[in-house]
Amino acid sequence: MALAFVRTLTGAAVALAFGLAASSAASAAEKVSIRLKWVAQAQFAGIYVAKAKGFYADAGLDATINPGGPNINVETLVASGADTFGIASGTEGMLYSREKGLPLVCVGMSQQMTPFAFVTYDSSGIKSVKDFKGKKVAVWFTGVQYTLYSVMAHEGLSQKDAQIIAQPFSMQPFIDKQYDVATVTLYNELNTLKEQGINNIRLFMPDDSGVTTQQDALVTSEKMIKEKPEQVQAFVTATLKGWKYAFEHKSEAVDIVMAAGAGLERKHQELMLDEIQRVMTAKLGGSEGLGAIDMKAVSDVQDSLVKFEALKKPVDLKAAFDSSFWAKVPAADKKL
Amino acid sequence: MKRDALLRSPLPMLVVLALAWWLVVPALKIEARYLPPLGAVIADARSVWPDLLAGFWRTLLETVIGFFIGAALGIAAGIGFAQWRWLERGVFPIFVALQSVPVIAFGAIVVIWFGNTLASKVVIALYLAFFPIAVNTLRGLQEADPQRMALMRSFGASSRQMFLKLSLPTALPTIMIGLKIGLSLALAGAIVGEWFGDTVGLGVMLLQALYFEQVPRLWVLILTCGGLGTLLYGGAGLIERRFIWWRAE
Repeated sequence: MALAFVRTLTGAAVALAFGLAASSAASAAEKVSIRLKWVAQAQFAGIYVAKAKGFYADAGLDATINPGGPNINVETLVASGADTFGIASGTEGMLYSREKGLPLVCVGMSQQMTPFAFVTYDSSGIKSVKDFKGKKVAVWFTGVQYTLYSVMAHEGLSQKDAQIIAQPFSMQPFIDKQYDVATVTLYNELNTLKEQGINNIRLFMPDDSGVTTQQDALVTSEKMIKEKPEQVQAFVTATLKGWKYAFEHKSEAVDIVMAAGAGLERKHQELMLDEIQRVMTAKLGGSEGLGAIDMKAVSDVQDSLVKFEALKKPVDLKAAFDSSFWAKVPAADKKL
Repeated sequence: MKRDALLRSPLPMLVVLALAWWLVVPALKIEARYLPPLGAVIADARSVWPDLLAGFWRTLLETVIGFFIGAALGIAAGIGFAQWRWLERGVFPIFVALQSVPVIAFGAIVVIWFGNTLASKVVIALYLAFFPIAVNTLRGLQEADPQRMALMRSFGASSRQMFLKLSLPTALPTIMIGLKIGLSLALAGAIVGEWFGDTVGLGVMLLQALYFEQVPRLWVLILTCGGLGTLLYGGAGLIERRFIWWRAE
């Protein structure tokens, strides 16, 4: 009885969804949704700015921004068509999604250098990655562990040389010196440490060891690329325009982000935007423009994932990464 | 009389706890990351007051809507199960299986179906509230004294009369227990539901506080969520005392 009711309810919801889809096709602006990998914050300033300044609307997109969370898998939502576009994990996440057979395509990469770093206290005696040998190294097992393995491999260490442990959500165990090395993102945990007055630390950047993994991939589905390439183009162009505007009008961009989220601290968001700008304009982001896909870095990451048997076999990079939309974005919209 | 009523209420204990928090933290030099001073927590609450209020209303709304739909479905299912044994045998095990699916796994599907709407949080709240209400309704309806049933039947009472005059009144206190459990679970469901992506709500603020490691904010949210839960539970208790004053036998 109740089950029948639930079924009716689901049926009604599906009917409603179809109804909405049908009505949107008739209107001028196309309804699209953009799924973020986390809740509203300066990490996604460009998207919020593009929406608030009307860049999406001007490009003919009626965009809804859907924030993410710890239980949200952007890759699945975009590949299934539940969301039109997404800001998904990054190089590793793209490769795993393709290996699993998800029809997901990366059309741009936000962060140009590895946004993760490994951090230790000055007093730990660790002066280089080589000194990780025999130490307790904490890393998030969300894919970042492979960046650590690659960095160690590039420095001549094997995974077994260090005692690698899973790092929790909080930086507290590192503050309490429960392990020697911890992982941070340059735009959040590092700021958290600094705000708590912890400055006696040394950073090891994966890029310095020759390991680059790009993060915050702009993704869409194969279906979108096939059926509505003009919308994909509009999304890529307007998003990059949003980022350029955000970096050129930072205070306004922070205002827009603050209005989109609940209970955000302005100072946090300002620091985050500064760091996001640094990682987005590094390397190709500076020379080629915002959002460039570093195919050399992608193929290097793939090689090391295959070596560590995190990927069973290489995936077709040409099908997984499509730079053609990015290439058509006018230089004025992507170069600072 | 009035003083007695005040003493019996939880208010004095709350004042004692607050005073203890206020005095003990600086006295024992407890580090802020373990337990921030009460003043810091209050100051933090004041600094995000509008967001906190908006979050409170949003989470309350999700909980209440989810709870009412869950309660309606749960009571209906319970009555159905009590009425038709074959339904209980056929459907109840499926509900038990559904109930054992972690809400996290179920939630991912809910987001695909309902997107980032209020509906997706309502559905998760409903999903958690439904089961205890259905089970308690069923158990309550099975509690009616068979001798009284036989007596009523011998006087020619219809099944409708027996249900309204005997089974349902006997079951109401037990159903009420289910409703109170369901209410608490609906709140948990609404908060977890917000972790599947949203911009307003106590769950969203909790997530941000965790991510930025804002310990005073965490305490603000713990207290607010606790307050919301107490308010809902208290409201249910009030209704129970007013309308269902008799006890289960």
